[in-house]
Amino acid sequence: MNTNQETFFETTDDSSLNNNSFGIRAKVIGVGGAGISLVDGLRFDNFDFVDNLIIDVDMKAVADSLASHKLTFGRRHTRGMGTGGDVNLGKRLAEEEKDKIRKELEGVDLIFLLAGLGGGVGGGAAPVVARLAREHGALVFAFTPLPFSWEKARHAQAEECLSELRKHANAVIPLPNDSLLQMGGEDSTALECFAEAGRNVSRGIAAICNIVFKKGMIDVDFSYLRKVFSGRGGRTLFGYGKGSGPEGLREALRDLLVCPMLHMPDVSKAADVLLIFVQGGTSLSMSGLQAVSKEIRDSFKAGEDVVFGAHVDENLGEEVKITILGVTSLDPLVPTADVAPVAQQVLELGKQPKQSHRSKLEITGTKTEKTSSIATRKKRGKKGDNKEQNTFFFMEEENQRGIFDDLPSRNMYEGEDLDVPSYLRRGVKIVI
Amino acid sequence: MSKIIGAVEIGTSCAKALVGEVTEGKSLNIVGKSVRKNEGMRKGEIVDFRKVASSVHAALEEAEKMSGTTVDSVYLAQTGAHIKGSFLRGSANVASPDGRVSVDDLQTAANEAKRKQPASGRSYVHHVRMPIQLDGRSVEDPVGMIGKKVELIYWSIEGDESAIRMNLDLAHNYGLEVADLILSSIASSTMVAGPDLRRAGVLVIDLGAGVTDLALYRNGNVAYTGVIPVGGDHLTGDLSMGLRVLEPYAEELKIEYGKSQSDPSDADQQLWIIGNKTIGDRKVPRKTMTDIIHVRIVELFEIISKELGDLLDTSELGAGVLLTGGASRLPGIEQLASKVLGVPVTKASFPSGLGNELAQPENSTVLGLLHYGLEDHGLPGEQHKPASSGFIKKLGGLIGI
Repeated sequence: MNTNQETFFETTDDSSLNNNSFGIRAKVIGVGGAGISLVDGLRFDNFDFVDNLIIDVDMKAVADSLASHKLTFGRRHTRGMGTGGDVNLGKRLAEEEKDKIRKELEGVDLIFLLAGLGGGVGGGAAPVVARLAREHGALVFAFTPLPFSWEKARHAQAEECLSELRKHANAVIPLPNDSLLQMGGEDSTALECFAEAGRNVSRGIAAICNIVFKKGMIDVDFSYLRKVFSGRGGRTLFGYGKGSGPEGLREALRDLLVCPMLHMPDVSKAADVLLIFVQGGTSLSMSGLQAVSKEIRDSFKAGEDVVFGAHVDENLGEEVKITILGVTSLDPLVPTADVAPVAQQVLELGKQPKQSHRSKLEITGTKTEKTSSIATRKKRGKKGDNKEQNTFFFMEEENQRGIFDDLPSRNMYEGEDLDVPSYLRRGVKIVI
Repeated sequence: MSKIIGAVEIGTSCAKALVGEVTEGKSLNIVGKSVRKNEGMRKGEIVDFRKVASSVHAALEEAEKMSGTTVDSVYLAQTGAHIKGSFLRGSANVASPDGRVSVDDLQTAANEAKRKQPASGRSYVHHVRMPIQLDGRSVEDPVGMIGKKVELIYWSIEGDESAIRMNLDLAHNYGLEVADLILSSIASSTMVAGPDLRRAGVLVIDLGAGVTDLALYRNGNVAYTGVIPVGGDHLTGDLSMGLRVLEPYAEELKIEYGKSQSDPSDADQQLWIIGNKTIGDRKVPRKTMTDIIHVRIVELFEIISKELGDLLDTSELGAGVLLTGGASRLPGIEQLASKVLGVPVTKASFPSGLGNELAQPENSTVLGLLHYGLEDHGLPGEQHKPASSGFIKKLGGLIGI
């Protein structure tokens, strides 16, 4: 259970850090109580080019935090205490002191906003911060814990804040508390589950930062990331998987497809924009990566806008980790079936793999193994090609979109949506 | 002389049609039947009219073909989360100077009871009449008896007008007249709970694919009807999400291995999701699967218990609770229901004489339609005429009956 968050950040040796040449500034901002705890839970060893900042009205909470930069506001109104869960108050106070907040956002290109939407400050101020950040031209990724669905009023309030936040942030990844119980092993404690939420945030941030800031096998530059994630604010998907051994990559893919975070209500089953990040030991092979990237893109019906990154970390040995983050556009889906996925172009642009990466992870039946990358690309661009190698067909048909997803209204009974599986609402842990 | 009548139930998973032949006014023979998968509905409500229409019409066509005759009018089942029931009362003083109750008095009382119109956008589906009260006494047929005042009580069921109209349109589009719109729960109760059970007090729970229909009888009369928008499809949906498999596989797993309570034998049992050695197939623990079903079933019966409140009184439910509907096939569901409701629960059986193929829990509603339709539910002295329901009359102009 105690997987260290740090490993996500310690993927490459310092020599490969290439932050300055990009000149990109990233900042993690925790807003409100839950946001602060999440920031405190992150560790930025070897990752010092990401600043952090916490914002709250509760002076004590701010003082107790380990964060390096702190901002309190609204002292005149709350005398340094919390908002008592009042979203409107949180929002008003943030609006009143927006100049102070703006100052903190100046020159920042990439913002990770962490805020629990069930709280007054998290729910009220976070959308304001996101809006101000967008006004400054920053790319905003938000990770937002949501209250348990049995906390009925708070849950409903958080959902409102979520849709408000979606208007401003480029991608909002909800982390429903209901889902926390589905994570970890069979007898993991509540604390371990909450730690898992922190790890999720770390995973997400690390995946994006690694792709942008570090040199690996396959990288993407920030302007491309900005381009594909610009102006989207629909439903998102976020998942991860890991595997090890000679079939590590394949195992990680299997693990990814059953990741509990991908099997929650309201999680999008298709992504117009998809970020895929793979980390593995020295045995990570280019052909294996291509195959996996294709299967992931197919599974989530990704269009053109795919950000694919892959890094080698010698410490991982035979272990492979995959993290994905996708956004569904609010605009109607544009059919993109016949376009060669951008990820393939990215593959070409990426650095050549080191010789030691020669494939140990050959996947039987994969056409890509023996063909040159250009030929492969042509082949893959064709619609319906390579169908036979898709072993996960039973995970990815149209009705993956959730069985009651086509209904316009929710099935509310005493504040709970009955179409959401009971086990999620009742906190019954499902181990598969 | 024989008469041909039809029954149509447009259920969430299947559209069902029956053709019955009534001989000598009483004896009923089922001469045609058909079941077609329905993919245009969710939770008892139509989401894709054309898909529903094609399965309803296919079912009717096949049932007619099988019977070798054509149907002119059908009894149509109505359910859906929008359906609500309440008591309506009306009374009339006996008009004639000699104090004898006349048919007109009953009509006056009935009109008064039904005078209250549902809110706009809502319409009545069905009025279920309670026994007639003559000066406070229950009387089967008071016409000609001496008294001062007659009182009529109806359990009146109303629902969303556009949903009901769509249901009716499905029959009309096939060129059929709707003889009566009957609440699904009342139809299935008619089938599985005979007069004796209804007199003793019984709750019939019809667990359908989309919704769960409830009907509670006390002293032989309807005391409550309700619709809970949770059905067997929710089990499939929960399994699909929990086991992370596609809906069709979840459905198959549910039917093949579903049960409501896990037992020690599940502990190490693993189930293949697809089971035909397909690459990418994986195993899921049977216990996990049972747990997912268990919580949903417990929750469903907790909701039923909340909805019924004080009505769920063991002393008033002499015949206990009967489960029917497709989802009642789930092994062990009656024990679990009994534990949650605190009332004895059994799976309903059918009257003898029905063929094995028909006497299945998912057929309760459509069979009940024919039986309910055959009985005379009008006022004494009133002609039993088709299209007597207020709704159909009201919509007559609109839909061109």
